[in-house]
Amino acid sequence: MVEQQKFLVYRNSGNGDIHYDRFEIPVSKGMSVLDALFYIQDHYDSMLAFRYACRGAICGSCGIIIDKVPLLACRTQVSTVKTAKKPINLPEFRFGDHPDWNQETEILIEPLPNMTILKDLVVDMKPFWKFYKEIEPFFNRKWNDIAPESTQSPSQMKKIERLVYCILCGLCWACPVSIKNPNYLGPAQLAKAERFISDSRISKEKQKTIVSCILREDAVPACEKYFVCNRVCPKGVMPGTAIKNLRYEWMDK
Amino acid sequence: MNIEEFDVLIVGAGLSGLRAGLELSKKWNAAVISKVFPVRSHSGAAQGGINAALGNLEEGKEDTPKSHAFDTVKGSDYLADQDVVMFMCEEAPKIVIEFESMGAPFSRLESGLIAQRPFGGAGFPRTCYAGDRTGHALLHTLNEQSVRNGLTFFDEYFLVDLFIAEGKIAGLIALDIAKGELVSFRSPYIILATGGFGRIFKYSTNAVINTGDGVGAAFRAGVPMQDVEFVQFHPTTLYGTNILITEGARGEGGYLFNSKSERFMKNTAPKAMELAPRDIVARAIETEVIEGRGFEDAYVHLDLTHLGAERIKERLPGIREISIYFAGVDPIEQPILVQPGQHYSMGGIGTKFNGDYGETDLSGLYTIGECSCLSVHGANRLGGNSLLETAVFGRYLGRTLLKKGLPKKSSSSDIKAAEEKTIDKIEKLFKKWDQNSGKKPVDVRNEMGETLNRYVGVYRQKDDLEKANNVLKRLQKDFLSVHVSTEDRRFNYGLLRNLELRSMIDIAEATALSSLWRKESRGAHFRTDYPIRNDDEYLVHTMVYRNKDGLKIKTKPVKLGIFAVKERKY
Repeated sequence: MVEQQKFLVYRNSGNGDIHYDRFEIPVSKGMSVLDALFYIQDHYDSMLAFRYACRGAICGSCGIIIDKVPLLACRTQVSTVKTAKKPINLPEFRFGDHPDWNQETEILIEPLPNMTILKDLVVDMKPFWKFYKEIEPFFNRKWNDIAPESTQSPSQMKKIERLVYCILCGLCWACPVSIKNPNYLGPAQLAKAERFISDSRISKEKQKTIVSCILREDAVPACEKYFVCNRVCPKGVMPGTAIKNLRYEWMDK
Repeated sequence: MNIEEFDVLIVGAGLSGLRAGLELSKKWNAAVISKVFPVRSHSGAAQGGINAALGNLEEGKEDTPKSHAFDTVKGSDYLADQDVVMFMCEEAPKIVIEFESMGAPFSRLESGLIAQRPFGGAGFPRTCYAGDRTGHALLHTLNEQSVRNGLTFFDEYFLVDLFIAEGKIAGLIALDIAKGELVSFRSPYIILATGGFGRIFKYSTNAVINTGDGVGAAFRAGVPMQDVEFVQFHPTTLYGTNILITEGARGEGGYLFNSKSERFMKNTAPKAMELAPRDIVARAIETEVIEGRGFEDAYVHLDLTHLGAERIKERLPGIREISIYFAGVDPIEQPILVQPGQHYSMGGIGTKFNGDYGETDLSGLYTIGECSCLSVHGANRLGGNSLLETAVFGRYLGRTLLKKGLPKKSSSSDIKAAEEKTIDKIEKLFKKWDQNSGKKPVDVRNEMGETLNRYVGVYRQKDDLEKANNVLKRLQKDFLSVHVSTEDRRFNYGLLRNLELRSMIDIAEATALSSLWRKESRGAHFRTDYPIRNDDEYLVHTMVYRNKDGLKIKTKPVKLGIFAVKERKY
């Protein structure tokens, strides 16, 4: 017999109707939570809304909350949701009432926290991108296509390597500071700032512009060192550590 | 209805679309339309690298663009258009250096120069890389430059159909995914950069979003599909999910073993071994499995354990992460289970003979990147050439159009009429889908994917291909009566995925037909009933059109003349 799995899925019409729907689906070997959502959409409710793209944990589209933990749906195996080790000290995420959730047997699916919900699991990413743009995350050198390229030693490259792995999925917006301060730039954004500030190729002038942005009240100074971002980041970017480094390098001096 | 007007529209926000947009927005009112946020595009999943004859390594000092072009043409089994290949390879070093100047975080040599690694089918180590996440690094870099330059985006807008006025492209109708409303984008130039369409197959490394929306829209507007029988099956995709395991894993020294612990590549490519081109390695693996020397009749082992923990962690961290999370295997300790899977579409939107690179036969419509067929990959693409193609032709096309200047627009009354007619057609289609009571789209999609995998895979033959053609013709009929609720159109992904299926099923049908038509084996297209390449009859590009009786095949000459057509051996 094919094993079945129950899902309790947050639904939000965007017009005020908020509830949870229950679905039971057949589980196949290697099935991810994203696969399960597709199964529901394909077979039970074509209107179930969620974002997706690569299904290989590189595009950053499918961040959701699974059993109260922010995760990429594509990288989370259905079979291990109940047994996987959960990050410690996460804030409590509440989207609606689900008093009948059976925590032992049902997988609870909810959208990313601290963003406006547009429909079901789709959240408004506009503030996320707005804050991303505010740090001016780019090199401002003149484009050049004539050899040789500017150099960078392997050890200088190592300094930014972890930071460039950020996929901008928004899981780190589960930060408790984001809950109370909608103007907080956010961990991903500050990690991106650190990626540019600590790149050996950046000009002093450009570095200064980004530094002045991250010293704003709602940026590095707003971080309260919960390190939730480090614990939920699916790519090991460690935004909290980046913020700590920024503070040490540019604030405490 | 909302109407937007631009000088040029780019559909797709992957590397091709972004690079073209960055060039065009310097002078023109340009906009990029994409069904996902730019950094979600599938360019970001490319792992191994981008080829350029930089000669940064001692072993690569003798490398030249011409040598790169030769490897590419040979790799293509001589079907690539040689002038376009030559152009791409000459541009390659410039494009990589330009990426670096934009801040791309390439891996580095001790000298501080960009690192390069060996790749399949290449005479020198010329693949520049950023760990094993090169596409991700480059996509984010171009996105950053788009922020810097204030490029205009319409994120989460889905291309439904193109419209034509006075024989020229006049605009497109897109679905605003959030609002669920149709929007008209008028423009005398449209560039389709919508990426690959591997999702016509059931087992593919491609993102779920790789559904050929641009190819389908162009085809419905009368633009043919070119060379779609040439489908690259990547030799090493993760058993189970078919997520890509980069060729870089073999470039770094990984071995392939069958269940008898033999490095079986010695039988097919004794010199190149694991670094033979992809089509050859994919067939070798498939043969091992078919002849009973695979594991569980499904896969072989890709062994990296001898590389050591340090090298794996440094050079292939993404591969390690994928193996651990998606297959529960740590490649430091155990071999990765791999099988061939659909990976790349050499074919795509047909281009004009002797036109500008990327120009189609429909005036004002251009195409670049994986959705296009320029053709730089011919019958088989070399690893590291796809990222290269995107940026080279994105930049080239931007510059070319700016030089050409804006065309004379069609009369506004004709544009309006074409626009209204197209919208009316789409509204009727949505209504029909809502009222239909036929199959679920998922049933049609699954049968399409399974059919292509079973009958139009690594090894092909007449009987199977005929079966595939018959099934796909029936699925076209089934598709007419599928039911999808379209009443609430806001973030209606069911509707969106049915629009994707509408294009995919055309591409699947064309792929099956051209595979049946091409009675030879060349590059990735292998016919067991015609195992030899036949240059006398088939050294031509396949062009599939639709007329009122169904699909029809014409041919287009291959641009030769730089490298002599020879037998391809490794």
